[in-house]
Amino acid sequence: MNSLKSVIAGAMSLAAAFAFGQTPAPASGPNDAQIAHIVVTANQVDIDAGKLAEKKGSSKEVRAFGKQMVTDHSGVNKQAVALVSKLKVKPEDNPTSQSLKSGGADNVKKLRGLKGAAFDKAYVDHEVAYHEQVLDAIDKVLVPNAKNEELKGLIVKVRPAFVAHLEHAKMIQSSLKG
Amino acid sequence: MRNRFIVLALACVAASTAFTPAVVAAAPAAKPVTHTVTIEGTQFAPASLTVNRGDTVVWVNKDPFPHTATAKGVFDSKIIAAGKSWRYKATRAGEFQYVCTLHPTMKGTLAVH
Repeated sequence: MNSLKSVIAGAMSLAAAFAFGQTPAPASGPNDAQIAHIVVTANQVDIDAGKLAEKKGSSKEVRAFGKQMVTDHSGVNKQAVALVSKLKVKPEDNPTSQSLKSGGADNVKKLRGLKGAAFDKAYVDHEVAYHEQVLDAIDKVLVPNAKNEELKGLIVKVRPAFVAHLEHAKMIQSSLKG
Repeated sequence: MRNRFIVLALACVAASTAFTPAVVAAAPAAKPVTHTVTIEGTQFAPASLTVNRGDTVVWVNKDPFPHTATAKGVFDSKIIAAGKSWRYKATRAGEFQYVCTLHPTMKGTLAVH
């Protein structure tokens, strides 16, 4: 949970760095190269967790959800990478990507140590928090700062998938409690 | 001259009759039509569609990941992969709510008259 909060903090500190930095443009958030990097990283983090859930999930639902996360986020990333190369943008590492990545690594490390119902609960709880947090970043950081219309369009178009994943994860979360 | 006027008058009557809704309604069952529902941005568009029995509905998945169009007990596309489509011939009358089983936020309605 802390790692999740740190991503938001990362996004904010990035915004702050830009706001107070020497950048000549009136930039107050990540540029398109950084946004592209954040999109790809955010998807990759959920692919990694999904691969683990596909194998280690104890309930059928959790395994199926993990598999779907791998499929959906891989599809989005394929599209994102195609757009980035079309636009000739070189994704640029940044604090938000770094906290997403370390948050994802912490999660995978924690999940590796769990099994059975405890694994399912930890994975699904994290999926709920992760998708909420990515939606927050989409609305507050990525969409408002994306300059290129096609890049912004891609983010806007995939947003409903994140909402659907969040709802789906919440459904599994409440079924696990029952 | 007079003959030409009559011909013209008859033509007008014929034309107006052709466009009277009553005539259209009385026509034998309309030719089956193919309708398209686009799946994009994790949404069905149009979300609500009305068709005649015998028409075909094609769901086209333009998203980069799979979806389904599923009305339990009525029709089920199973997985429609990215870039693929699925056809359904609407033979059963009724109003059917359907979902994507992978994305529970995706809802649509197909009304078959």
